[in-house]
Amino acid sequence: MIHLSSFILCLTGFAALAVAMDRPQHDLFGRALPAPATVALRVGGAASLLGALGLLVAWQGWGLGLVMFSGHTSLGAGVVHGALIARGRRAARSN
Amino acid sequence: MGSPSVTTDQQARPDGRGLRQSMSDLHTWVGLLLGWVLYAMFLTGTVSYFKDELSQWMRPELPALSGVPDQALVAQRVADELVALVPGSPQWSLRLPDARNNSVYAFWRTAGAAPGQRGFGEGNFDPATGRTVSSRATLGGDFFYRFHFQFHYMPVVWGRWIAGIAAMFMLVAIVSGVITHKKIFVDFFTFRWGKGQRSWLDAHNALSVFGLPFHAMITYTGLVTLMALYMPWGQQAGIKTAEDRRQLNAELSAFIQPGKPSGEKAPLASIEDMVRQAQERWGRDGVGRVTATHPGDAAARVAVARGDGGRVSMSPQYLEFEGTTGKLLAVHEGVGPAAETRGVLYALHLGRFSDSVTRWLYFLVSLAGTAMVGTGLVMWTVKRRQKLPDPARPHIGFHVVERLNIASIAGLSVAMAAFLWANRLLPETLADRANWEIHGFFIVWALTLLHGVLRPAKKAWVEQLWLAAALLALLPVLNAATTQRPLWRSLADGDWVFAGMDLMCWALAALHAVLAVRTLRHQPKTRPARKAVNKPAGAAVLREG
Repeated sequence: MIHLSSFILCLTGFAALAVAMDRPQHDLFGRALPAPATVALRVGGAASLLGALGLLVAWQGWGLGLVMFSGHTSLGAGVVHGALIARGRRAARSN
Repeated sequence: MGSPSVTTDQQARPDGRGLRQSMSDLHTWVGLLLGWVLYAMFLTGTVSYFKDELSQWMRPELPALSGVPDQALVAQRVADELVALVPGSPQWSLRLPDARNNSVYAFWRTAGAAPGQRGFGEGNFDPATGRTVSSRATLGGDFFYRFHFQFHYMPVVWGRWIAGIAAMFMLVAIVSGVITHKKIFVDFFTFRWGKGQRSWLDAHNALSVFGLPFHAMITYTGLVTLMALYMPWGQQAGIKTAEDRRQLNAELSAFIQPGKPSGEKAPLASIEDMVRQAQERWGRDGVGRVTATHPGDAAARVAVARGDGGRVSMSPQYLEFEGTTGKLLAVHEGVGPAAETRGVLYALHLGRFSDSVTRWLYFLVSLAGTAMVGTGLVMWTVKRRQKLPDPARPHIGFHVVERLNIASIAGLSVAMAAFLWANRLLPETLADRANWEIHGFFIVWALTLLHGVLRPAKKAWVEQLWLAAALLALLPVLNAATTQRPLWRSLADGDWVFAGMDLMCWALAALHAVLAVRTLRHQPKTRPARKAVNKPAGAAVLREG
C-alpha cells in the first residue's frame, strides 16, 4: 500500500513538473501557462516527490527508503514521459 | 549538471573543440568498443534479479513453495544427509530455503582431492526429505547470473577482468554522457517522434536520464563487488599473516574457514538447536546459511548466518558455535566502517534485500539500462549511415558494427529464449545435460551472428526479432506440453513463479513483435531528401552529441 501511495505521489509529482515546462505547456494547452500557475506546479510537483520520499523513509528507514524512492521516481518519470508521447502521437494523428 | 562551465568553455572558443565535443567523442567510442559486451552484461544481469524464480521454473519437478518451511528442521535434515553423503569433508555450506527458493543449495569441499582435481562438490536438496532433489540437471538462473560477470568458456578470472574493464568503460560513458547532454533538465520530457537520428537520441537520453541514479550505482557497485581482484595492492600490503587473513575473512564473509582438524572423531551437536538460537535473533525465516568446518571432528565449528532479506548490507552477521557441543562461541553482528561500506555497496548491486515490488523496480530500471546501451549502439549506425558515400556498400567498420549489433541485441534475445527451450526439450537422461543447455545457448547465439552476416541488415533485424517473439510467445505452450504446470493450473494454484514466467514471456514476445513491426515499416529517407533535410539536424546532433 505504501509502495502504491509512493508511486502515485511520484507520478503526480512528475506530471506536475512536466506540465510546468515550456514544451509540454505548448503541446497540451497551445500556450504558456501564467507564471504563478507554473510556479505552483513546480512547488506542488517537488512537494509530491518529497512526500513519496518521506513516506518510504518513515516506513523502511533511509537505506531501503532511498533505494525504493529511486526506483519509484525512475518508473514515475518514465510513465509520465510515455503518456506525453502517446498524447502527442494521438494529437498528431487527429490533426 | 556541469552545464555552466561547459557553456562558458564553448563560448570562449567557438571554433575550437570544446570540452563537450571531446566528451561526446569519448562517450561515442567507450560506448561502442565494449558496447556489445555491456549489452549482454546488462540484459543477463537484469534477468538475474529473478534468478531464483528462473531456477524454480527450470526445475519444474520441484513442487511450488507453499510457505517457507521451518529452517531449523530443514537445516538438520540436510546436515544429516551431508554427513552421510560426504563424510570427512573439511567444509560444507548450505543455503536454506526462503520465500524465493524451494530447494536447499549446498556445496562442499571434497577431502583429499588430488592436485588438478576439482576440490568442490555441489547439489540441491529437497527441504521436505533432505535428499538430493530428483529434477533435471540444470544450472537454472545461475547461468545468466554467472555469465553476467564472468562469461563462459574461459577461466573465471579472465571473464571477471573483461567484465571489470567493460564496467570501467561504462562508468566513463556515464560521466562523459552526462557532460555531453547539456540539457538534462530542459529536455527532461522531450521526445521528437519520427525525426530519425533525433528521435534515437531523445530515446537514448530518456532511458539514460530517468534511470541515471540506478545506472551510475549499478556500474560503480559492480566494480566494487570485484574490487579485491582489480585492486589487490592495499590488501596485499596490509594483510600479511594467517591471523590477518582470518580477521579479513570474518569481515567479508560468513564462510568460516576450516582450521586444522584434531583427528579425534566426534559427532556434530544439534544443528536444529543452533538454527533455533539464530531464529530467536533474526526471526523465523531470517536465517540464510549454515556452514560447518570439519564436521565429525572434535575441532568442528558451525556458523549460522543471517539472510539477506530486508537489510541493505551484505556484511556478514553470524553466530559461531562449537560443533560438538553446540556452545555459542561468538556473535558477529557488525563489521568495521570500511567493510560495512563495501557490504552496503555490494548489497545495492545485488538487490537481494528487496521485497517483490522493489525487485520489479530493479528489473524495470535495469531493463531501461539495457535499452540505453542498445539504443546507443544502434545510434552509432543511424548517425553514420547518413554520411556513407554509398549506403549499399558501407565501409568495413560500419559493416562490422551493424552486424554485431544485430547478433548482440536481437540475437541475444533469441539465444536466451533458446536456453529456456533447451531446458524443456533436452532429454533428462542426456549426459552432461546442464552443460548442453549452455552449449545450446551459445550455438544459437553464434547462428544469429552467422544469419546477421549473411542476410541484408534490415531483413536480419526483422527476422531475428520475429524469431525471438515467436520463441517467447510459444514458451508457455511448450511449458504446458512438457510439464504438469501449465498456465491455467499455475493460475488456479496461485503458483506465481510459473504463472508470472508465462505472462512475462508473452509481454516480452509482444515487445519483440512491436520492435519487429516497427523495423519492418521503417523507411530510411532517400538520399536527396537526406541531403536537403537531415544535414542541419545531423549537425545539430553532432553539436549536442
